[in-house]
Amino acid sequence: MTAGVTARQGGGEAARASAGLALGVLVLRWAGLAWMALLVVIGADTFRRPGLAQAALAGTAVWTALLTARHGRMTRPALAADLLVAAGLVLLVGPVTGPVAAGGPVFTTIYPLAAVLSWGAGGGFRAGLAAGAALGAALVAGVLWGGSPAGGRYVLGLAGDVGNFLLAGGATGLVGRLLDRSAAEVRAAQAAEVRAREQAARLAEREALARDLHDSVLQALALVHKRGRELAAGDAVPAAAVARLADLARAQERAVRSLLLAPAAPAAPGLASLPEALERAAGVVDGAVEVSVVAAGVPPLPAAVVTAVGAAVEQALANVERHAGARRAWVFAEADGGEVVVHVRDDGAGFAYEPAALAASGKIGLLRSMRGRIEELGGTMTVDSAPGRGTEIAFRVPAAAG
Amino acid sequence: MTATPLGRPVGVLLVDDHPVWRDGVRADLEAGGGVRVVGEAGSADEAVAVAVRERPDVVLLDLHLPGVPGVAVIRRLAERLPSARVLVLSASAEEADVLDAVKAGAAGYLLKSATGAEVVAAVAQVAGGDAVFSPSLAALVLGEFRRVAAGAGDGQALTPREQEVLRLVARGYTYREIADRLTLSVRTVQNHVQHILDKLQVRGRYELMRYAIRRGLDQEPG
Repeated sequence: MTAGVTARQGGGEAARASAGLALGVLVLRWAGLAWMALLVVIGADTFRRPGLAQAALAGTAVWTALLTARHGRMTRPALAADLLVAAGLVLLVGPVTGPVAAGGPVFTTIYPLAAVLSWGAGGGFRAGLAAGAALGAALVAGVLWGGSPAGGRYVLGLAGDVGNFLLAGGATGLVGRLLDRSAAEVRAAQAAEVRAREQAARLAEREALARDLHDSVLQALALVHKRGRELAAGDAVPAAAVARLADLARAQERAVRSLLLAPAAPAAPGLASLPEALERAAGVVDGAVEVSVVAAGVPPLPAAVVTAVGAAVEQALANVERHAGARRAWVFAEADGGEVVVHVRDDGAGFAYEPAALAASGKIGLLRSMRGRIEELGGTMTVDSAPGRGTEIAFRVPAAAG
Repeated sequence: MTATPLGRPVGVLLVDDHPVWRDGVRADLEAGGGVRVVGEAGSADEAVAVAVRERPDVVLLDLHLPGVPGVAVIRRLAERLPSARVLVLSASAEEADVLDAVKAGAAGYLLKSATGAEVVAAVAQVAGGDAVFSPSLAALVLGEFRRVAAGAGDGQALTPREQEVLRLVARGYTYREIADRLTLSVRTVQNHVQHILDKLQVRGRYELMRYAIRRGLDQEPG
């Protein structure tokens, strides 16, 4: 009986189409119910058992209300129950009315048809036919139960009713299948389009990457190659020339690494990546001082915070390059609670951090400028330094500032 | 630089698919005299075979070998030659790669831009049984423990002191400098670092087990 009944997964189109179909069937149910009520009231004195008719009407009304509350959505159990209700109704035709006058109105009206339509719409051609056949059989059984007289004209009418059930089920089934098929085709076309667009995006990305690599890295590699050969061929190797080559390679290494580490998805609007900004800041002094930039779990931050902290770190590193006589510097950023902390440390000469003395010697300007940027964000800056011990500056900024 | 923690030159196996790179590192390592390069390998299979044959103290491993993920090489080495300590040298600081390598049992991680002296020092440290945390690795590990701190059901969170040590490593301080700042012995600092590494590797084994179980369940027929 349930052969061919498949629960359908609707994509957008299929879901809309089947929702429309369900709504149509629901309207049919209410129309059938209203007509049934009319017949039960008017025909009460012609019925053999008016009470049974009223009970059937009440049951049908409850079932219809239930389906309406579900917006006509038919799951498998609902479909099964619906067919049972419909079969029950047509079975009662005989007991309620007694021998049926050929061609006369049947008290169940068109209501049972709704079940056949639902089966056809939900399960396709074969399910619709099966439901139609089941109801047809129930109708024949019900009429015989009422003790109707056999007769050519009468059998013909009954056969017509059964035929209507089969026709309705089969036709809705076919229409449902067609709707489904076209929805599937639309889905497939959409998927193909998405694939094509993704591929185009990948190609574009690849081209951009190739362009970047060509503009910077390949040029630099070619230069390193050429200069390396020249230096190797010469008698004396000038240290400065080798150092320049190393700087060039180092800068490209940083460039490629930042290309590789670029986030897959851009930060949300208004947010920016602090580690990237710090890498850029480090790139400014790279070569003279070797800078290590590391970050521990720093999420995208408000762009204003990233810009200000990046600028402060760049100033700090410029200071290291100019004054500290350092070989190396370390930048470490971490997000801790609601706070972002960035340390900039060098292994240079260090100095006695006495703001008054520094102000007197005119060296306070840069520090004050850095402090200004950070305090504007509601943050603080601390300097830890001593002659011979290097310098470490810490910036602390509320992550939500800006 | 010529300190030999083992009382003899440290035997090193170089694994990298770029012969030019191996030559450069070999020159750096052998210049100090404390290291003897006992073999070279250009692929994962070769690395395991040479390691089993030559029994190096330290395997200097490039994470990006053709075909086989570096993590798999580390696991195979740990299985076949548990006495060898693996020091990862890699050109990329891809977070996941580095963390996976350390969780799989690497004793340290250095970027390829490290100087020759740094590599030699790291090899000696690793041979002596210590972990080598570069600033980038320290930052990654801090981030990793913070990321999963909330749901750390395995009782393997970092202590405040361990976090402090990691922060200082991330800021470029040497173990010696950290010891001075925290008024601890260098040995104690090294122990902290070793504990951090242990916790990370416990977590690595735990994750591997969970992964294996999940895979096993997924592949159950039916």
